[in-house]
Amino acid sequence: MTETDDGRRRFLLASGSALAGAWVVSSWPAIAAAHEHAARAAQTPGPQAFGFLTSAEAADVDAMAAHILPSGDTPGAREAHVVYFIDRVLATCFSDRAPVFRAGLAQFQVGFHLACPAARSFAAASSADQLAFLHAVEATPFFAAVRQLTVMGTLAASQYGGNFGGAGWKLIGFEDQHVFTAPFGHYDRDYAGFVPYTKEPKR
Amino acid sequence: MSPRQFKLNETVDFIVVGSGAAGGVMARELARSGFTVLVLEQGPRLYPADFEHDEFKYSFLAGITNDPKNSPQTFRAGPDAPAERLITNNPMAYANPLVYARLVGGSSTHFTANYWRFHEIDFNERSVLGGIAGTGFDDWPISYAELEPYYTKVEWEVGVSGLAEASPFDPPRSKPYPMPPLPVKSSGVLMERGARKLGLHPFPAPMAINSQAYRGRPACVSCGFCIAFGCEVMAKSSSLFNMIPEAEATGRCEVRPESYVFRVETNERGRATGVRYFDRDKREHFQKARAVVLSANGAETPRLLLNSESARFPQGLANSSGVVGKYLMFNQQTATHAVFERELNEYKSVQVTRVIHDFYDSDPRRGFYGGGGLDARMGRQPLGWALQSSGDLPKWGPEYKARLEAFPRSMVCAGHATSLPLETNSVSIEPGLADAWGIPAMRVTYNDHPDDLAIGRFLRDRASEIMDAAGAQKIWSEEVAPRNNSVHLLGTCRMGKDPSRSVIDQFHRAHDVRNLFLCDGSSFVTSGRGQPTMTIQALAFRAAEHIARFARRDEI
Repeated sequence: MTETDDGRRRFLLASGSALAGAWVVSSWPAIAAAHEHAARAAQTPGPQAFGFLTSAEAADVDAMAAHILPSGDTPGAREAHVVYFIDRVLATCFSDRAPVFRAGLAQFQVGFHLACPAARSFAAASSADQLAFLHAVEATPFFAAVRQLTVMGTLAASQYGGNFGGAGWKLIGFEDQHVFTAPFGHYDRDYAGFVPYTKEPKR
Repeated sequence: MSPRQFKLNETVDFIVVGSGAAGGVMARELARSGFTVLVLEQGPRLYPADFEHDEFKYSFLAGITNDPKNSPQTFRAGPDAPAERLITNNPMAYANPLVYARLVGGSSTHFTANYWRFHEIDFNERSVLGGIAGTGFDDWPISYAELEPYYTKVEWEVGVSGLAEASPFDPPRSKPYPMPPLPVKSSGVLMERGARKLGLHPFPAPMAINSQAYRGRPACVSCGFCIAFGCEVMAKSSSLFNMIPEAEATGRCEVRPESYVFRVETNERGRATGVRYFDRDKREHFQKARAVVLSANGAETPRLLLNSESARFPQGLANSSGVVGKYLMFNQQTATHAVFERELNEYKSVQVTRVIHDFYDSDPRRGFYGGGGLDARMGRQPLGWALQSSGDLPKWGPEYKARLEAFPRSMVCAGHATSLPLETNSVSIEPGLADAWGIPAMRVTYNDHPDDLAIGRFLRDRASEIMDAAGAQKIWSEEVAPRNNSVHLLGTCRMGKDPSRSVIDQFHRAHDVRNLFLCDGSSFVTSGRGQPTMTIQALAFRAAEHIARFARRDEI
């Protein structure tokens, strides 16, 4: 079970008494099952089978995503399993636009071949050649789509195939919990309370 | 499922179309007045356990909102511009210009819950300032004083947290708030610090969220997922959690979900006889009623009227004025981002904890019409925050990644302001485009008046000054530019005394149809300064009282 799951379970159990309602109890088995399924899916290590992308397409998309959100001291697109997210949404919720995406990718690959004829593919090229080409195409709709999907794959909940192990949320410092208590941040820690206004302001 | 179920061959006293902020109040008040009420809601009925912290689903897959895939809309920037499907915040999917929550509870389920009252000036501004050429700028046929008791009713019966008379600009009130304000967040503290230095008057935000257990619902647990989400603990004062179950508890109200009303029928005398709707299996039904109330929101109410045209009402129902769908208003909005040295963690707790009304009134010395409020808030949920890419912000690579890491140290000072009513801004019917039920789709025409953009720029600059005075390390603002989408859907069936220039009278009765009432954001004459739901609910409480009176006297 992931931390997320555990947090949600504790939250649901704790809030049952506060609500004095039946919904938590009655919905609990379904919620638990759904979350355990999602957690298992998210923890399946790659390589997974791709549902839409060919492995050559996936390699190029993965290489692009790795420049958009590079790895380093903190997780990047690769640690978040972004390419699996992209593959999954193109096969499902964004399938309407998948042909446009594929056409954009084909054009990207042709463009790269013309720019770097010696490289076998974008994914196989040197990092310097990849970067130079990405800078050349960063204003194209295809680049915008890959950038969008990379960010989504990093920060969307892990049941969509990315944000592996909460990597994206760790990157930005977001805690996935269902209950927080004040103080929430540094600046509200020592707030002295609201001081009423004594004089009427000029309007 | 509601305990009371009406048969299809029964004639109910009232059909209420829509179960949101206005529809919920209408249902409860009319049922409590002794009438039978059938609420037809196009979306499903969900419960707190159904709601999720799933930003991708709720913000990008139309999780609980009208879905562009089955309910498409088009947009054009003026009557002569071509109308097109929109792609806005996601190149992977079409977007709708007018967005609302499509489930029982309507948009009161996913709202942020900002609940300031309109001020006195919002109702008589034309008399005070004079007319504005080329616009439909007008007084409301009702005053703040007439609405005040109903604002109080919203605060006490729907449930609003706040601190009475904390703002020196607040309009008069007959009672304090029933609950104290929610705990201040770092964004509120910082805004207050900066604003007080500049001589401004920030005050605790009035929010329709429980700060303590109230009327059978628990206090907020500060999970942070209010804006665009349904509340998982019922602390948000949504119709789904208060008005709807209270209406059902009378034993006289049925809420029928997944019931998509597409036509109001009328008889030879020009009276509404009932409505036609599709059930969840797309089977068509007709339900009879003595009177019909449309609270379908500022987008769907005018569309329904326009799609209910007949030989007697060739321009659409209740549209002899030709005003149905016109004077659409969005509320001008601005966002000024600020990054501070230490963490704020704005993703925790409710979105807004401090508000400023020093710039609420229009001031002729500024050289343009308009006024507004500022608030301190969480900018966006993680995905929305990471995807916003205004100005010279890095969009990818190591610098972009570094920007993302500033998430916990960031906040937004947001502006909420006037939009002038323009006849050319409208909801109309898109020729040749239908939804998944075969019903003609909506076409949205919108272009901000220059004064709307001017007040946006003015508030954006004040927000920057406040964030600077608060000690921000980095400040940037999103561009103030003509808008093509909104969740504030206002003004499209405006209220007025003159039947040739308005759709409903001061009691929300359609001028043209004696037993048809309209009450939601479409009733607005002017836009206020944002945060319209409080006023929509106050109008609904007031309207329901009058409608019940008419029904008792057989005047419907």
